[in-house]
Amino acid sequence: MAIIGNPKYKERIQSHLAKYETKRSAVMPLLFIAQEEYGWVNPEGIDEVAHILNMDPTQVKSIAGFYTMYSEKPKGKYWLQVCTDLPCALKGADEFHAWLKDELGVEEGGTSADGMFTVDHVMCLAACDKAPMLQCNFRYVEELDQEKMRELLAKWRGEAVQAANGRN
Amino acid sequence: MHILLRGREIANIKQLKVYEAHDGFAGLRKALAVKPSEVIDIVKASGLRGRGGAGFPTGVKWSFIPQNEPIKYVTVNADESETGTFKDREIMEENPYQLIEGSLICAYAIQAKSIYIYLRGEFWDIGDQLDACIEALREKGYVGKNILGSGYDCEVYTHLGAGAYICGEESALLNSLEGYLGQPRVRPPFPAQKGGGLYKEATVVNNVETLANVPYILTAGAEAFKAIGTEQSSGTKIYCVSGHVKKPGNYELSMGTTFRELLYDHAGGPLFDDRPFKAMLPSGGSGPIVPLTDEVLDTPMSYEDAERIGTIIGSASIIIMDETVDMTWVASKVTKFFKHESCGKCTPCREGTYWLDKVIDRILDGRGSPDDVKRIADVAENMAGTTLCALGDFAANPIIHTIRHFPDDFAQHVQT
Amino acid sequence: MSDTVTINIDGAEFEVAAGSNLVDAAKWRAGNDIPVFCYHPKMDPVGMCRMCLVELGTPARDRATGEIMLNEDGSPQIRYFPKLQTACTTTVSDGMYIKTNTQEVIDARNDVLEFLLSSHPLDCPICDKGGECPLQNLTMQHGPQASRMYFEDKQLLEKHYPLGDLIFLDQERCIQCARCVRFQDEIVGDDVLAFHERGRRLQIITNSDPGFDTYFSGNTTDICPVGALTTADFRFGARPWELTDVPSISPWDAAGENITLSMRLDRDFGGRAQIKRVMPRQNELVNEIWISDKTRFGHHFTRGDERLRSPMIRTGDTLREASWDSVVAEIAGVLRDADGDVAAIAGSGMSNEDLWELRRLMEGLGSSRLGAWPPTHGGAEAVAEVGLGAGANLGELGKGDAILIIACDLEEEVPIWHLRLKQAQDRGAYLVVANARNTRLEDLAVQGARNDKVVEGDAIRFDAGDAVAVMRDLKQTQPAIAERIAQAENLVIVAGAEGLTLAGSKTLAQAAGNFLIETGHAVKRNSGLLSPLPGANGMGLHYLGYSPEASVDIMVKPPKALFVAQAELLDDVADARSWLAEVETVIYANHFDDGIAELADFVLPIQSFAERDGSYVNGERRAQRFYLAQGPIGQALPAWKVYGSIRQEMGMSHLKPSAAAVMLEISKNVEAFEGLTYKALAQVTRQFPDVGGRDQYYGGTAYTNTGGIGVQIPAAAEGKKTVKPAELEEVDVVTAGDGEILVMPITRLYNRQRNFRPSLLMEPRILAPYVLINPDDAQLLGIIQGDMVEIVAGESTVRAQATLSDEMSAGAVALPRHMTDAAVPLWLTAGTVRRVAVAVASAD
Ligand SMILES: Cc1cc2nc3c(=O)[nH]c(=O)nc-3n(C[C@H](O)[C@H](O)[C@H](O)COP(=O)(O)O)c2cc1C
Ligand code: SF4
Ligand code: FES
Repeated sequence: MAIIGNPKYKERIQSHLAKYETKRSAVMPLLFIAQEEYGWVNPEGIDEVAHILNMDPTQVKSIAGFYTMYSEKPKGKYWLQVCTDLPCALKGADEFHAWLKDELGVEEGGTSADGMFTVDHVMCLAACDKAPMLQCNFRYVEELDQEKMRELLAKWRGEAVQAANGRN
Repeated sequence: MHILLRGREIANIKQLKVYEAHDGFAGLRKALAVKPSEVIDIVKASGLRGRGGAGFPTGVKWSFIPQNEPIKYVTVNADESETGTFKDREIMEENPYQLIEGSLICAYAIQAKSIYIYLRGEFWDIGDQLDACIEALREKGYVGKNILGSGYDCEVYTHLGAGAYICGEESALLNSLEGYLGQPRVRPPFPAQKGGGLYKEATVVNNVETLANVPYILTAGAEAFKAIGTEQSSGTKIYCVSGHVKKPGNYELSMGTTFRELLYDHAGGPLFDDRPFKAMLPSGGSGPIVPLTDEVLDTPMSYEDAERIGTIIGSASIIIMDETVDMTWVASKVTKFFKHESCGKCTPCREGTYWLDKVIDRILDGRGSPDDVKRIADVAENMAGTTLCALGDFAANPIIHTIRHFPDDFAQHVQT
Repeated sequence: MSDTVTINIDGAEFEVAAGSNLVDAAKWRAGNDIPVFCYHPKMDPVGMCRMCLVELGTPARDRATGEIMLNEDGSPQIRYFPKLQTACTTTVSDGMYIKTNTQEVIDARNDVLEFLLSSHPLDCPICDKGGECPLQNLTMQHGPQASRMYFEDKQLLEKHYPLGDLIFLDQERCIQCARCVRFQDEIVGDDVLAFHERGRRLQIITNSDPGFDTYFSGNTTDICPVGALTTADFRFGARPWELTDVPSISPWDAAGENITLSMRLDRDFGGRAQIKRVMPRQNELVNEIWISDKTRFGHHFTRGDERLRSPMIRTGDTLREASWDSVVAEIAGVLRDADGDVAAIAGSGMSNEDLWELRRLMEGLGSSRLGAWPPTHGGAEAVAEVGLGAGANLGELGKGDAILIIACDLEEEVPIWHLRLKQAQDRGAYLVVANARNTRLEDLAVQGARNDKVVEGDAIRFDAGDAVAVMRDLKQTQPAIAERIAQAENLVIVAGAEGLTLAGSKTLAQAAGNFLIETGHAVKRNSGLLSPLPGANGMGLHYLGYSPEASVDIMVKPPKALFVAQAELLDDVADARSWLAEVETVIYANHFDDGIAELADFVLPIQSFAERDGSYVNGERRAQRFYLAQGPIGQALPAWKVYGSIRQEMGMSHLKPSAAAVMLEISKNVEAFEGLTYKALAQVTRQFPDVGGRDQYYGGTAYTNTGGIGVQIPAAAEGKKTVKPAELEEVDVVTAGDGEILVMPITRLYNRQRNFRPSLLMEPRILAPYVLINPDDAQLLGIIQGDMVEIVAGESTVRAQATLSDEMSAGAVALPRHMTDAAVPLWLTAGTVRRVAVAVASAD
């Protein structure tokens, strides 16, 4: 499905357009909507956003490329971004990050074979007192250790299976 | 004393009713009862300085806004991306109405048309909560047309960033909000001037913590605020403590409290009793690092005293490192941050951060030479003072100061 | 406020224009070249590269009194900024001090270069820009001896990334100055270039469809301060230092863009000098430092294989090659027998010298039948009367001024005017675009470019054929717009011929002229009338006595002997064959054979603009010189020499020794050309901004003007005490009968005209034949998008694909000229459109 003409987003798009003095200002929120719809900022999403805002698609892609929260490549179902910035690293975040990649058998930025998890690292997320931490699809998970992480991975796997079954 | 982190004392202050019951919006009412310029005078008199990093006097900033421009804006800097900073987050999570009230007072003082709260993208659930707060306020007449019957209209909106530290820099923030690349603008014109602000209109950009102080200043009075803290640093400040301490977290203390009191009495001292403190980054990655000597520990945390010991208070994101930490590694970590966050617009920052990172990696790998240490020091010196915005200076700081204070940490990697 | 301020540069004082940019001022007044990469005098400063750092100080003022504080010796106290400042983002102010030669500044320049070079591949020996590269030049002057960065760590990036069909990006060489991005955004108004990613991964991209595809894309390769952007035409073509530069004039349209032909002796061209590339030559009054891609890439016809190489004479059914002497002698003989029943049709690519000799020949034969070709546009008379005022510069139009563009598609017809007038709007001018269909300039007029710039503009849409009425009755039908443009400080009207007959376009120009006269804009420097007359020398044709009406008359009453001079009659009119058959002797002189050779009795090869000296008069009435650049093709001669030889043969006069001598004669005989000697045309004055020369980092590789900035012919109205509006003739309205529809020929920049075809690079940019139809009309005609249709109008029968668009006014279809060999009508004509084949499923 597209974002244009999709009832799911109609109201949100309208409210973003109403917020700003120029249409162009709405490019960031609309890119989030495109990412939500397609799972990543794909060419269709860029063209649609460009169309809605009367921008050139080049400009929209430029914005998408500048910010780290827009992914221009498909990601696993769960995008795990471990903060490895200094405060977290002082609390073992680098080791945690390395362990997690091992655990899932992925390289930096890679996606696990089952397409479930993409792992990479990010800069400070303003949760330094709760290190190590990560964000999973932009939701913070704090004060982590290996045991807690294994449980979470199992839980997410379970949720994904459930969701898949529910769909059938 | 908690002026900002009042959520720690008053349960549920994030609910409008509770907030109202505890003097909520008394500041705004006071402000609306006087002329806008008087509000600016009160804030000037309070001595409040910006909590976003630069410590610029807030009232003075507001007074730069031209009075006769028809359209003006307030932009709240909630991008909170400095390494080690997590204070604005707690304010917004636990005491959101106070931020909005402060912003409305600012908006009234400069007669702004609307307020945009620029949140870092990861704060999207905070954004949702703020949106709900704004709706609640609209229903009760605090936001929108004819606020509290004063005849003054003002809208409040939230905007989410999407992962870019540079968007905390005020002119980059404005570009980002306008839908352009989040890269800094040439100044002048400054945001407070026509042509330099949001949509080219005069705009105040203030940090979350700065604005959250304002309701208190209005209700308790400028004098009461000025009575807290030191001569040149009034009020309280939230210090974000992270790294090798027992109790990391936010601590709101009067300005002028010593580092020792913060780190030992509040943050519980070294994480491991047998590993004493070695060094501190008092303003995240961007401020000069200092060794945690007794002299430093006994220094009051104020803008002026920090300067005396060769560093800054900045946003007061205090990262503590114990004796096990290699400062070359710290320099590398911080450099990786700035390399990742350099927007690429100006040459020295774009190329310099990359260059620094490459050479420090060599040094850490044991492939470096003593020349390499000199080389990064030179590169950092070349960056400092030549870049378009302060990020280049920020990136130079950790190199210059780690080498200055901890030469042995570098030397050990390049011994042949 | 005074107009100048005094600033101190390295200890010396200079008076500079108030409000000017410090880099510009230092260069213009003090000859101090502050090095820059990102700054460009035609674009807003961005302060990105940090190359222009200087020490900057201003007089200290007492806080209380505001007075300037003085030193003991009475000189002002100067307070310097603690950090170096970027000169490019600094506006001069009175009493400002700058230092550009201190150790700190020298070090800073060195450091910035060292940073840039740390990413830059040092592939200068194989780089197209090598030898004229700002980065290379500045490194020589200010750079480090050796880079301290490790070379093995340089990043490897795409070296041949196509931004479009014409421009390639070498990502390794790009120094992220954003000049190309800003050019597209600020100058062209089409923001199809942008940065992607950030930090050191920042790269130029395009994500538009089509990609980097504007009529001005080549200019980015000039202003790119490194060899990151190259044209598909010149890439690896030659090394800049092997090239010799010859000043010239674009042969394509009424703008008369000043160009430089970069020449090299070429083995593939028999060791003769060959055009390797076409570059802009600065003329701030005409094209500034920009040229269109057609001008830049369309030069290949000058040495195409199809060029005619030797004179030919018909005997019976065959044409045979002959010597010039015998050809000239035979033509003279034919002419003697013609008894004065001769005529000439001259194309708008002919130089003034050619036109003069041809006219003298005709006069000598007793004929005054001088046709201007193509006879599509009237309006030259009105331009001669009330064209732009003396010293006009479209680059000065801005706030308070107004522009009306009626009945043309300026971007397609005269791209540089489009560019400059669009920029005038960006500077604040009020732009009105009136036409029977949508054009890109109309979009820009009402919405502005997509860069949030607020612009003032309006559009007027009318039915095909109604332009004259709209212009004549503007005050009644569009009172608000008419009032606003009438009140403007300056008013420029561009009146075209789209949707009109020949008489219609002539009357439209007169009506526009009347409007200018009535509103007091007739003889004002930056006001007046422009007409997008086809070709490079539409105004030259007019001044030398050629008219489109005469061409029409010749078509109706063919003479015994006809000179067809640089006019492609068969390509332009469908029934040319039939009336040419009535002509006894056709004397055809051109670069190519358009099929007429079958009919012609004499076929004469003549030289293109690149092979000879000559002059053109542009639409702003500026006479400009071009110079011999390329080696000759076969036995081709300059046309003036051919006609001069015939005159000599017939005993009328001696052949002139040079084009300069012909021009001297013109200047003595034709009032408008008074004083226009080659010497006068070659004169140059210093132009702002001071681009070109050695410091290519300032303005890019646009060339200094050494060939002359030309001389503007005064508008006739300028000599008169009072200027009276012209009496407007009633123009017959073209109407469509039952089952008919109006067919409106339109012009596309990229088309299949003979002299554009040999530039093969441009072939993919030329659209397939199409016709624009309003959807309502299409429905009535039973036509859907993509159908192949046949358009029959007058003698013309053209096949084209139907393109439905509600941006086309109903009741007419727009049919581009020269998309195939089939000639479309010259003017608005009633005709029929019918489907001949069903839409082929298109790719999308
Ligand atoms: C690279 C850079 C990053 C910054 N990041 C932030 C930030 O995340 N939050 C913030 O409030 N100010 C940040 N600032 C400071 C702002 O530019 C600006 O000074 C501040 O928002 C002003 O508000 P204040 O006067 O209330 O401190 C940053 C500055 C720079 C140069
Ligand atoms: S391609 Fe050239 S003009 Fe464009 S940003 Fe790179 S160096 Fe500048
Ligand atoms: S910063 Fe001034 S020329 Fe680039």
